Amino acid sequence: MDIEDIKAQIDSEIQNISSPEKLEDFRVRFLGRKGIIAELTGSIPSLPAQERSSFGQQVNLLKNKILSLIEEKQKSLGISQQGLTGSAYDIGMPGIAQELGRLHPLTQTIDEICSIFNSMGFSVVEGPEIETEENNFTGLNIPLEHPSRDVFDTFYIGLPTSKKLLLRSHTSPMQVRVMKAHKPPLAVVVPGRVYRPDAVDASHSFMFHQIEGIMVDKGIKFSDLKGTLEEFAKSVFGGEIKMRFRPHFFPFTEPSAEVDISCIICKGRGCSVCGRKGWLEILGSGMIHPNVFKHAGLDPKVYTGFAFGLGIERIAMLKYGINDIRLFFENDLRFLKQF
Amino acid sequence: MKFTYNWLKDFVEIKITPQALAEKLTMSGLEITSLQAREGDFVFEAEITANRPDCLSVSGIAREVAAITGKKIKWVRSQESGVRSKGPLVIRIEDKKDCPLYIARIIKKVKVGPSPAWLKKRLELVGCRSINNIVDITNYIQFNWGEPLHAFDLDKLSKGAIIVRRAKNGEKITTIDAEEKALNQDILVIADEKKPIAIAGVMGGKVTEVTEATKNILLEAAVFNPQVVRRSRRTLGIMSESAYRFERGVNLEIVEFASASASRLIEEYAKGRCALSARTGSAKTKKGVINLGAEAVNKFLGVNISGAKIKQILDSLGFKVKAKGKFNFIVTTLSYRQDVTGQIDLIEEIARIFGFENIPRSLPLVRPKATGARTKGLVSLIKNILVGLGLNEVITYSLIDKDLLEGFDLGQAASPIEILNPLSKEQAILRPTLIPSLSRCIAYNLNQKQEYVNIFEVAKVFTADKGAPKEELSLGIALSGSKPYLFEGGLVKDEAGPLHLKGILEALFEKLGIRDYKLATENNRQFPIYVGEQKIGLLLSLEKNALDKLDIKNKNVFLLELSLDKLFSYAQIKNKFVELAKYPGIARDISFILKVEVSVKEILEALKIKGGPLLSEIKIVDYYKGKQIPAGYRGLTVSCLYRSQERTLTEAEISPLHEQVRSVLTERFFAQIR
Repeated sequence: MDIEDIKAQIDSEIQNISSPEKLEDFRVRFLGRKGIIAELTGSIPSLPAQERSSFGQQVNLLKNKILSLIEEKQKSLGISQQGLTGSAYDIGMPGIAQELGRLHPLTQTIDEICSIFNSMGFSVVEGPEIETEENNFTGLNIPLEHPSRDVFDTFYIGLPTSKKLLLRSHTSPMQVRVMKAHKPPLAVVVPGRVYRPDAVDASHSFMFHQIEGIMVDKGIKFSDLKGTLEEFAKSVFGGEIKMRFRPHFFPFTEPSAEVDISCIICKGRGCSVCGRKGWLEILGSGMIHPNVFKHAGLDPKVYTGFAFGLGIERIAMLKYGINDIRLFFENDLRFLKQF
Repeated sequence: MKFTYNWLKDFVEIKITPQALAEKLTMSGLEITSLQAREGDFVFEAEITANRPDCLSVSGIAREVAAITGKKIKWVRSQESGVRSKGPLVIRIEDKKDCPLYIARIIKKVKVGPSPAWLKKRLELVGCRSINNIVDITNYIQFNWGEPLHAFDLDKLSKGAIIVRRAKNGEKITTIDAEEKALNQDILVIADEKKPIAIAGVMGGKVTEVTEATKNILLEAAVFNPQVVRRSRRTLGIMSESAYRFERGVNLEIVEFASASASRLIEEYAKGRCALSARTGSAKTKKGVINLGAEAVNKFLGVNISGAKIKQILDSLGFKVKAKGKFNFIVTTLSYRQDVTGQIDLIEEIARIFGFENIPRSLPLVRPKATGARTKGLVSLIKNILVGLGLNEVITYSLIDKDLLEGFDLGQAASPIEILNPLSKEQAILRPTLIPSLSRCIAYNLNQKQEYVNIFEVAKVFTADKGAPKEELSLGIALSGSKPYLFEGGLVKDEAGPLHLKGILEALFEKLGIRDYKLATENNRQFPIYVGEQKIGLLLSLEKNALDKLDIKNKNVFLLELSLDKLFSYAQIKNKFVELAKYPGIARDISFILKVEVSVKEILEALKIKGGPLLSEIKIVDYYKGKQIPAGYRGLTVSCLYRSQERTLTEAEISPLHEQVRSVLTERFFAQIR
C-alpha cells in the first residue's frame, strides 16, 4: 500500500470516530502488533538497500501523525490517556530486561560466614595457596611419617626450591603464619582455596574452599570455643538448631572436637542427607596444641587459644540443598543465576 | 574397626543397650559409624582416630567402655605360659630401632583344620574371613589384644636363625596374596639364613604360609618400628590389618601375653605342643610422670570439676594417680596410651570422659585488633561493581590441563608450574592466567544454548620467578554472544564486543580512582592495559585457533585480565565532594567527518587542551559510518560544554573560543565540518 493512500485513509477515518471503543479499534488497526505500521516496518528489509532509509523515515512520520491524531481525538472525546488500558503504556508487556549479576554461591557463603565472625570481632585475612611442607604439616604438629597425615593427601609443586613446596591441603597453615606475624590478642578468619588429590565425584573435588579461624589470647578457654561456634552455627542455620561437640583427633588441636548440628532437613529425625543419624557434621575445632604455639614462637604457658576449620562447599550444599559438589565448578549460568 | 557387643562382654559388664552404648562411645570420641544386629549379636563399626591405636582391639575398646559406664574391666589373663627356654632357637635382630622386641615360639605336631564355630563366627562378624585354625587364632589374638601375630610353616624355613633385617636391593618375595614384590633397603623383612620369609609387620611370604599340610609352626609376636612399617607398606602398596596396627604403634607390654595366649589356643584347638620359645629385646616401656592440678584443668576448660572427680576419671582410664592434697596429682603414663605424655593430653582425657556436653558455653572477651588486609575490601568492592554491571561470578579450577594453555597466544614466556603428583592430566599445571579457564567456561555455557554469557573470576594465578613460585591475584572478565532487549520499538540485539569490556573497565577504574590508564594496540586482537607506564593487563578477542579448540562456532569471545595486585597499588578511593556547578553552561555541537585512522582519543585530548579551563566537558554524542560518508572516513558529533565556576558565560565570550576549538579539527586533523 502506498503511504500517501494510507494518509488519506487515516484523515477520513479519524473524522468519523465517535466513541472510545472505535478509537481503540482504530489504534489497534494501525499501531497494533499486527497493524499497518508494523506491516510497513516489517517490509523494510525486503526493499532495495538504497530505498530503506527514506522509506523508514516516511513510516516514522506516518506513525507520529497517527499518534498525534489519536491524542487529539482522545481530548475531543474527553478520555484521559491513563484511563484506557494499553492505549499509551501497556504495562502487561515484559519489563525491559535489566540483568542482575550474581556472586558465586561459594562467595556468598564465604561472605556470610566472614561477616558473622566479623561481628564477633574477628578480622579476615588471606594467605598463599602455595605453602611449605613445614607450614602445612610439621608446624601444625603433623609428623611427615605418620598415619595422622593420611587424611591430607597433597599436591606437590615441581620447582627446585630449597624447601619442599606444595598446594596447601587445608587453610590451617595460616594459623602458623598469623601467629608468627602478629602478637596476641588475635582473632582472625581465613577463607581460601585448598587442594587435595581426590578423585572427583558428587561429594569430592580436588579443589575446594575452607575457612580457618583462630582466637589466641591469655585465658581463652574451651568453653569459649563452644560459645563462639554456637553463635556462628545459629546465625547460619537458624536459632532452633541443636548442636553437639564430639571429641575427635586433629594433630594441631587438643582437645579436639567435631561439631554437629541437628539435621536441617529432617530436624533430627533421620533422613538420607544425614545418613539416618539426625546429625550433620559441619566443622572441626579444638584448643590450639602447645606444639603449634611453640613452633610459631608463642609460649603455651602464657597464651591459649582455639582454632576451627570448616568446608565452605559443605555448608553451601546444606544451606542451598545442592546435591553435587561439581556444580560449583561447572559454572553453568542456569545454576549461578539461582543464587 | 569392627567389634561386637557380646565380645566386649568378655571384658566388661554392660548394662545398657547397644544403641545407648554406641551413643556414649560416639560422644566420648570413638565415633560409631554403624551398628547392626547380626546372628544374635550386635556389630559396631568405629572410626578410630590415628592417636588411639589402643582402640584397635576389643580389649582396648572394653577399657573405654568401662571408663564411660563406670564399670570395672575384667582381665582374663589366666596361667600365662611365659617364655620357656632359650634352646637352639636363635633370633638375630640387625637393628633394635627397627624391631625392639621379637618373640618366637615353636609349636609342634599341629593339626591344621577348620576353626571351632565360635571362633569362625566372631571373626566373620568383625569382617575377617576364616582360613584355618592356626591363622584364625593369630587373627583372633590380633582383634582381641591388638597385637598382630604371624605363623610360619617351620619346615619351610632353612635351618638356623630367624633374622630381622633390612632387605637387600634386588631381593624379591612372593607374598601370601601371590604377588611378587621387589624389595629394597627401606623395607624390613623377616628372613631365614637364605631368604626373606615375610615383610616385617606387613605381610607373610607365600613359601612359608601355613597350609593344611603344615605340621610344625613358628609363631611370631613382635613389635616393629611404626615409620619403617609405614615406609614398607607404602613402597610396596600393600595394606594389611597388621601394618595398620604397627604403623600406629602396638603396646609392647602385651606382646608376650599375646604370644602365650595364642600358643595356648593352638594347643587347645589344633592339638599342637609348644616346644620352645625365645625372646630378643625388651618388653619394658619407659613410664613418665605428669603433674596435674585441678585448677589448671578447670581454667583451661572453663568448667568446675572437683579434684575427686578428676582422680576418678583418670583412675577409670587405668592411669596410676597419686594425689598430692585434694587438688594436685602425679599421674604415671601407660604403655598402651603412648598418646598421653603431657598435661594437655590428660586435660583432653578428663574433658572427654566428663563429657563435652557438660562443659558450659561462654563468649570470649575479644580485644579486637585490625589485622585484616586492605585488599579483601577492594576485592569485595570490585566483585560488587561487576555484579552490579550484570556480570556473573564463576569459580574455576586453579589446576588445569597443560594442553588447555596451548592455542592461547598470550605471550607467556616462562613455563607454568607443574604438579609433581597429579591424579589426571586435568591437574597437571597451576594456571599462569585465567584466560583459558574463562574461555572454557564461555564455551560450556554457549553449548548450553545461552545467548549471552558474561562472567568474571577473581583468583590467584601462578608463575615461576627465577625458580621461586609467585602468586598474583588476578581478575578475569569474559563476554560472548548477544544480549536481547525487547523494546516497544522491537527487538534489539546488543552484541558483545571489546568496547563492552572497555566500558566495564572504565566503570571499575572510575570507582577505584584510577584515571591515568590507557589501552594500547598490540595487534588487532590484543590490547594491553596500562596504568601510568606499567602494563597491568590485557584485553583480547580470541583467535580462531582458540575458538576452534574450544569448539565455539559463529561467536566471538572477548576477555580481559588484570593483575589486581598491580592495580591495587594505584587504587585511591577517597571521595571528596566537588561543589556542583552554580552557573549555567553553553553547549555547542560540532559534526564532522574524518579519516578512520585518526584516533578519537587524540582528538578529544587536543580539543580539551584548546578549550582551556572554560571547556568543562567534551564528549562524543554521535558516531556513524554509512553511505552518506565517503569510504575510509567516519562521521562524528562532539558536544562541547563551556562553563565557568565564577559567572554566567555569554555567547559573545564563547563564540571565538569555540571557533578556535573547531579550527583544531580542520587544521590539525583535516576534518571536514558538516
